[in-house]
Amino acid sequence: MAQQKKGPVFAIFFCQQLDARQDINRRCLEKEFGSHIRFFPIPCSGRIEPLHLLKAIESGADMAYLLTCGEGDCRYGEGNIRAKKRVNYAQGLIEEIGLERKRIVLISKKIDAPVSIDILVREAIAGNDMLPIQWNGHNLQVDD
Amino acid sequence: MPGRYHIHTKVVPNRFPAITRSGVIAWEEGCLKCARCVKKDCVYKVYEKRGLDTRQMLDSLDSMCKDCFRCVQNCPNRLIHKGINPVYRALGDSYWTPEIISSLWFQAETGRIPVSGGGYGGPFSGKGFDAMWTDMSEIVRPTRDGIHGREYISTTVDIGRKLMALEFAPDGGLISQIPPLIEIPLPIMFDILPWSPPDDKIIKAFLHGARSLGTFVCIEESYLQHDMEEFLSHIILLIEGIPHHRDKGFFQMLRMVEIPDSGETKALQEWLKEINSELIVMVKLPLSAEAPERVFQLATDGVEVIHLVADEYGMEWGGNPFFIADRMKDIHLFLVEKGIRDQVTLIGGGGIAMAEHMAKLIICGADAVTIDIPLLVAMECRVCRRCKEGIPCPVELEGIDPLWGAMRITNLIGGWHNQLLEILGAVGMREVRRLRGEMGRSMFFEELEQEFFATMGNSR
Ligand code: SF4
Repeated sequence: MAQQKKGPVFAIFFCQQLDARQDINRRCLEKEFGSHIRFFPIPCSGRIEPLHLLKAIESGADMAYLLTCGEGDCRYGEGNIRAKKRVNYAQGLIEEIGLERKRIVLISKKIDAPVSIDILVREAIAGNDMLPIQWNGHNLQVDD
Repeated sequence: MPGRYHIHTKVVPNRFPAITRSGVIAWEEGCLKCARCVKKDCVYKVYEKRGLDTRQMLDSLDSMCKDCFRCVQNCPNRLIHKGINPVYRALGDSYWTPEIISSLWFQAETGRIPVSGGGYGGPFSGKGFDAMWTDMSEIVRPTRDGIHGREYISTTVDIGRKLMALEFAPDGGLISQIPPLIEIPLPIMFDILPWSPPDDKIIKAFLHGARSLGTFVCIEESYLQHDMEEFLSHIILLIEGIPHHRDKGFFQMLRMVEIPDSGETKALQEWLKEINSELIVMVKLPLSAEAPERVFQLATDGVEVIHLVADEYGMEWGGNPFFIADRMKDIHLFLVEKGIRDQVTLIGGGGIAMAEHMAKLIICGADAVTIDIPLLVAMECRVCRRCKEGIPCPVELEGIDPLWGAMRITNLIGGWHNQLLEILGAVGMREVRRLRGEMGRSMFFEELEQEFFATMGNSR
């Protein structure tokens, strides 16, 4: 079974236009982090709803990331611009319930050459300094 | 006349929303706030019933949408789009295609034949099983009309060795020893999986499914648990050598055993037959260029059933490998030439992904087939092979309810059985036994191409 890492649980939403081989390229991370990482590919980052991000946190994620292509690169026109507004909105909502805004992170990447989702995610989570959320003193369940 | 074999199917819902071919992308920003939004006019009410599966973050919009494009066309500000879902494209691989996987899901959920309604939109011909077509020139005969015809079409096959003639003593007594024979109501048995998550519950689902369908499941001897013994009459036990820890009474309860082809094959078969002469012993032989000779040798040595296996893509082992259908043709024709084809049962497995593959392999000379991956797909497997790499299964197959799994398998096989009936009806046959090796009821692309283009001096 996959090796499990201690620490926060990451929910990674990402626009699949970023990496055509995402299903293969993300396996290294899935193996390394086990149930501490969940990937949610979406056809376009504009498809994200604040509800998706909130539900991810509600169901056990400590950090929710949304990876999008750079502004002007969206194949549906303005998907990543809309995504930005929704991330802002979701950040406001978690702040209202007492969580830190930075538990929801938007990473917008100008992509000139094919890039592996593995590299993008490692870069994204490398800068994380947030600890697992303490919900009334109880941590949500992960299979450690 | 035997009673009609019928597989009872019923809708068995998915545990996870199915991954659909396309997804709805509906922007909220820029909405003109029309008096009546096009979303309200959706005839399937997908926007009103919208929900989110939080385990996979899958939006019910996608699984409920029927691709009518009404909302896409009618939104005045063009805020609704439909795009190909890349998760769908990432299902399986070039052999186990997203189309095959989603069609298997549909059959396992509903028990129905997948009908697109839009005609066949695929390529004219392709590799593997797509390089042959069944000749459906009898499709106009109404009484033999597949599922609904008045004439009964039998899908029963015999597993075992057959005598070519009976020998009698001068006093009329029968001298010939009649070898054991098992009849199964459809030419499908379940094989050992090439990969799977921890498979306790998966195997139980196979066993329940096989029992209700009247067929068999191959299980390695070391996997056999106490609570599986109630299914012994539906198990083909794979043993590598003499299992000394099992008593003889155990082998008397079995109906079929599989042994790998090796130097010990004959001795092992004799040892088993001595304990239980009614036991059918099947020899497992990986397909390769040497297979025709080896099959001939085994058949002459008295082997009853030979299980010819290819890899999960239907390819044999060794350099310059053949596809299973081509090698099966070779073996079948070689045995016909030697005059012993009818004595032995040939079962083919590996790369059988659709009902038509089963019929095509039978046309190429197999008596029956074994399947594996389609059974997992029936239980929502995505053929991502994460389990093979030790990564958790995205659809938690290790945790299924075996009875749910068995019902899904029954539905899938029900769909395949109906498709086999349709094929048999369309080629004008009343039983699947007669389809075996009936290459006249099929066309092979390569042969046709040679035939047509040779006269133009163009041979590929
Ligand atoms: S979905 Fe993937 S991990 Fe699960 S059984 Fe199928 S191939 Fe294995």
